[in-house]
Amino acid sequence: MPIEIPKDKWPGKIQSVTIGAAAAEGGTRTKSITIGGQTCMPYLHYEAPMPNRPVIAIEIKSRKPDDWSSLLAEVWGDAMNDPAQWAKKAEEAGADLLVLALTLADSPEDAVKAVKAVLGASGLPLVVWGPGQAEKDNELLVPVAEAAKGEKLVLGICEDKNYRTIVATAMANGHLVQARTPMDVNLSKQLNILISDMGMPHDRIIMDPTTGALGYGIEYGYSVMERLRLAALQGDTMTQQPMMVTPGFEAWKTKESKVGEGVPESWGDWKARAINWETLTAIALVESGADIVVLRHPESVKRVSEAIGELISV
Amino acid sequence: MALSGIQIYKLLPQTNCKECGFPTCLAFSMKLAAKQVELSACPYVSEASKKQLAESSAPPVRLITLKANGAEIKAGNEVCMFRHEKTFYNKPGLFIRVKASDPDLAAKVTKADAYKVNYVGMDFTVDGFAVEADGDLTAAVKAIRAVSKRPLILISTDAAALDSALGLLAGEQTLIYAADSSNYEALADTAKKHKAALVVKGDSLDALADLTPKVQAKGVEDMVLDLGGKNLGEWLTRSTQARRLALKSNFKPLGYPTIFFAAQNGVEKEAVYAAQAISKYAGFVILDTFAPEMIYPLLVLRENIYTDPQKPIQVTPGIYEINSPKPESPVLITTNFSITYFSVANEVEGSGLPAWLVVTDAEGMSVLTAWAAGKFDAERIAKAVKGFDVASKVSKKRIVLPGHVAVLSGELEEELSDWEIRVGPREAVDLPAFMKQALN
Amino acid sequence: MEHTVIFTTEDNKTATVTVPTNTMLADAAHIAGIDIGQPCGGQGRCGRCAVQVTDGNVRRRSTLRLSPADVEQGYALACQTVVEGDVSIYVPPQEKIERRLTTDRVVAEVTVPADYDYDLAQSIRRVHLQLTPPTMEDQIDDWSRLQTAFRLQANMQNVNCSLHLLQTMGETLRAGEWQVTAVIERDIDNPDKPIRLIELYPGYVDEYSPLWGCAIDIGTTTVSLWLVDLISGQVKAQVAEYNGQIARGEDVISRIIFAGKNGGGQEMRQRVLDTINDLLETACKRVKAKPEDVMKATVAGNSTMIHLLLGIPAGSIRLSPFITAVNHPPLMTAKDVGINIHHEGTVDCLPGVASYVGADITAGVLSSGLERAENVTLFIDIGTNGETVLGNRDWLVTCACSAGPAFEGAGVMNGMRATQGAIEEVWISNDTLEPTYRVIGGGKPKGICGSGLISLLSEAFLTGVIDKAGNVNLTAGSSRVREGTHGGEYVVAWGAETESGEDIVMSRVDIDNLLRAKAAIYAGFTVLADTVGIPLETTDKVLVGGSFGKYINVEKAVQIGLLPDMDWPRFEFLGNTSVKGAYYALLDWRKRERITEIAKRMTYVELSADNSFYEAFTSALFLPHTDLSKFPSVEAALHKA
Repeated sequence: MPIEIPKDKWPGKIQSVTIGAAAAEGGTRTKSITIGGQTCMPYLHYEAPMPNRPVIAIEIKSRKPDDWSSLLAEVWGDAMNDPAQWAKKAEEAGADLLVLALTLADSPEDAVKAVKAVLGASGLPLVVWGPGQAEKDNELLVPVAEAAKGEKLVLGICEDKNYRTIVATAMANGHLVQARTPMDVNLSKQLNILISDMGMPHDRIIMDPTTGALGYGIEYGYSVMERLRLAALQGDTMTQQPMMVTPGFEAWKTKESKVGEGVPESWGDWKARAINWETLTAIALVESGADIVVLRHPESVKRVSEAIGELISV
Repeated sequence: MALSGIQIYKLLPQTNCKECGFPTCLAFSMKLAAKQVELSACPYVSEASKKQLAESSAPPVRLITLKANGAEIKAGNEVCMFRHEKTFYNKPGLFIRVKASDPDLAAKVTKADAYKVNYVGMDFTVDGFAVEADGDLTAAVKAIRAVSKRPLILISTDAAALDSALGLLAGEQTLIYAADSSNYEALADTAKKHKAALVVKGDSLDALADLTPKVQAKGVEDMVLDLGGKNLGEWLTRSTQARRLALKSNFKPLGYPTIFFAAQNGVEKEAVYAAQAISKYAGFVILDTFAPEMIYPLLVLRENIYTDPQKPIQVTPGIYEINSPKPESPVLITTNFSITYFSVANEVEGSGLPAWLVVTDAEGMSVLTAWAAGKFDAERIAKAVKGFDVASKVSKKRIVLPGHVAVLSGELEEELSDWEIRVGPREAVDLPAFMKQALN
Repeated sequence: MEHTVIFTTEDNKTATVTVPTNTMLADAAHIAGIDIGQPCGGQGRCGRCAVQVTDGNVRRRSTLRLSPADVEQGYALACQTVVEGDVSIYVPPQEKIERRLTTDRVVAEVTVPADYDYDLAQSIRRVHLQLTPPTMEDQIDDWSRLQTAFRLQANMQNVNCSLHLLQTMGETLRAGEWQVTAVIERDIDNPDKPIRLIELYPGYVDEYSPLWGCAIDIGTTTVSLWLVDLISGQVKAQVAEYNGQIARGEDVISRIIFAGKNGGGQEMRQRVLDTINDLLETACKRVKAKPEDVMKATVAGNSTMIHLLLGIPAGSIRLSPFITAVNHPPLMTAKDVGINIHHEGTVDCLPGVASYVGADITAGVLSSGLERAENVTLFIDIGTNGETVLGNRDWLVTCACSAGPAFEGAGVMNGMRATQGAIEEVWISNDTLEPTYRVIGGGKPKGICGSGLISLLSEAFLTGVIDKAGNVNLTAGSSRVREGTHGGEYVVAWGAETESGEDIVMSRVDIDNLLRAKAAIYAGFTVLADTVGIPLETTDKVLVGGSFGKYINVEKAVQIGLLPDMDWPRFEFLGNTSVKGAYYALLDWRKRERITEIAKRMTYVELSADNSFYEAFTSALFLPHTDLSKFPSVEAALHKA
């Protein structure tokens, strides 16, 4: 007699969120991307179909970063000096969408210029991050939001102490927001509530529960994502946002990825290890429910993309 | 189903006799519910209650131990689908596959056997070897035993060859790979004879569930499942279903740990395949490649996933740089409880003001809790400041204490006599203003 | 159509007006010149404008906060009720209304337990003795003579006496011409045990004059003392003051650390003794007695407070494995302890359970009646140590969590105790963000007490002055919302209205303190209930204790997520249950015994054993809670607002 496989029937559903607008929708993107919509835990196709696959974003910066690993500088080369070039190369490397990180050195004009250049160079949907300081983020993101009105950008990064301005400008200009909280289920939920309370529709919020890199707290991010996803499926509407995490940023901060000299021999070959570090960080998060992973190295993008392909095709 | 404290309490004598070492029967019941104490500590519990409690606490996934003279590795005994629900207990063993026919067998094993890598103070190694019997299995086992004392998995369906090889491994607990519907009788006999564990293999969960009771009927209790599956997605489905059947449906035929071959679809996918297996319930993971640049991240991933999530979330103690501090930037002190760290770091980061943040080892407690428990005192702070060699990074020897522990400033001045001790605000939200006004 | 409306107030003032159909009662009253307070601005939220319709037809748009029984009796909200015919309206005084509202829980007056019997239950007794005067023939010594009188006239076989009394005995006996009144203490359980002579008065003391005892609760933040006539059992004076130790730390941990330093223990002891002795003096003055007339003191308090009172090192309480020096101190004399009641009087420190479950809780469990409850009952003490007890007559579990003193008004910028001048209730208008507040005693406000802080936080939240995370919304559009020295703040009272002339505000830091306090308490009882596997909503009753005010608005406490969202009738506010338990124990030896039994039965749950408390705490660190589905009534209120 065949075994009766226990199946979970969840009352909740992950919110579908569409990033990027083509001409018909008032933007200039060549395609838009939809994530979310799941009604079961990741890749359990025997319970429910997976309406949208997780996607991979590649992170580029408005100015060439001076603190990135030389392995990354090597692979991106001169394109790093020009966000438009970098965007093109990232698209070729297999990105589903792009993340453009602005820097403290950017003026509002620089920021708008960089965003326009990237929008012009690639038709992929775009996420724009402020440099990560409340005042500066607000100063740069408001003009960016206005200049790219209608593109359905994702503006980041909203945090509990600084979300009002970004949310307000995203609402006014038809964009989405990325809501980041430090690896805690309750905090994620709380920020979603605060942003919703401002009137932002749920299909324009992506939550970023934050992760640690492999070896640097990934288990917290991993479990927070699993718990958020379970809560969402149980019907908790304030946890039903799709999730975006930044394994590339986290992994390339670690000594294991960043440097090749002065490390133990037992760590093995630098380049292979660095890519493993980023790839495995990303894979673990894809398994725990990430809808967008932001990566940095093209080889990691390739490997994570293949893995996602296997996970969604059963 | 696990019983709650009150449910267990109702099965106990309720006399508060204290003979179990707990002040009340209810205190004892709650410890029982948390599996932190054995029922046998209660001298007066009735037979009926004993039976009921034993049923509620039987492990749904059988514990399998592989053992050699030098090491052992366990799999099974798991109780949850997601690590946050309780914890994952037994880390999957990482085994390196070697070939009996390989002329460099001894050298390869020697190298992998000696591999050791340190991660936050812990030494990790590979757990054992899986020997493919494409040559003389007995000779291969002999050669391996000359250079390694780690547990073995023997990959062969030749009962006679296995019998001979296992004869060399008396006193050990070895795993045989693998029995299927065509050969299980002979392999089960061999396994039983040598008290070895046996992998059972099937094309589907149905086939496996059909086979394990038959193997059991032959007298083999210790089994491991090979779930098959053509790619990541299919294996994830089967692994999830098997674990769920064991846990949720208490389905005994699949209540065994699993084994997974990470290089089945090519070595270029091996790391990713192994990573999924580690996260998603595998009991043993077989690697074809011995490469430190892959083994190290896999060992770290395994450690991370199998860390007990009930322990407070901690940040690694150390000195953290916020907004690219310079030698003249202020030095702030806090504890390694993650929420404490994040609230301080976020406030300062958001203000754009550069600072050095010294995170002391307060055993994962917040400032007040740690101070209350004696884990955040002048001595510990001084130890951190000295241990992280803060003095070498700054030009001004001045540290800022959290306002909640202002009382420590006197003692700290004694401990760090050449440092200026300043008392900062109680709340992280007041830090930027304090740094702007008071520290200039 | 026009109708006549006749208003009558408590002082029999009447006023008559004629108004058209559908006129709001509140408007009619205004025209009639009758003052009906509308703290919430006439939105039907506070219930303070309730009046009684004694005759005629009205239509009630809403009866929120009135019980069906009240409506039956004609009560109606003036701001939600319209005239539909000629009507007569009685306008009751404010304090009567508060007692009627379903949201408000006022502490019941203390009454002498019905089963109190001085002769059977009281260990302190006053005995009149008539001694035969000595003669040349009767050469028995004074002490033997007194003992004989005890034996023959009071049936007391074995009386002991101190050197001090021996020194003055002869004089007393002769001054009273061999008539004396003795005050003794007996051990009711062991009649064979020696009886202790405490005091000897010359002559007969009036049988009905009070025999004084006192019940004391040493809270970390507030010390309370009740002066009791042991004969009638009545509480004759209730006084309270901040614990003088606060100057050396707000929480028990700081106090323990301070006490561990050179001379710190002595200072801590002296500070609390000063507080107690000042309170004793104040209470005695009120009833025209002297402290030395008080023959017994029964003391409740958490374990740290008892250790510090007795000058016992408390260091081991703080550090793992958290062991007290003593959970149940023996009976002591007041002289030894340093409390200024009669120096031979007894000090009875009630038994505790463990380091963080002290006699305040065992006494509270007794006085709350929890230990006899048939159904599972939750008892929450809203105090500095956030103790919670869950259980019934079969089992009791308890936990403690550090909530801090915010709800007792300490550690909050403009916080104060619930005394004269404290703002105890605040309503904020949804439209203008202007507040209406009520001050204890009615004068100019000096600060805000616990119940005021609860209502202020709730109102600020419901009106959008602060967001759910407690961030002050500086763009709310009112001059009362402004950037202060500690982040955003809300001005409750402008300097011109206040006693000190300074603005009374609630700052961001205050909000954080209040949030943490309420989150700790909420997390404490939810985790406790989880630990034993009892769903919170199945608890029959929620008993609320605490010394933050004389009343609590349950609705407001639910709205900030301090109390669980349940039907209001399931809550009872018991005030300071610890001092009440000490009072019961002072009166009645059987109840004293029961506290000992309770201490043995209680199971302490350590909340820091795993992550669950932190989880529960962070999820409660939000208004009202991260999981709004746990607060359906608040969700509904927000929807309306």
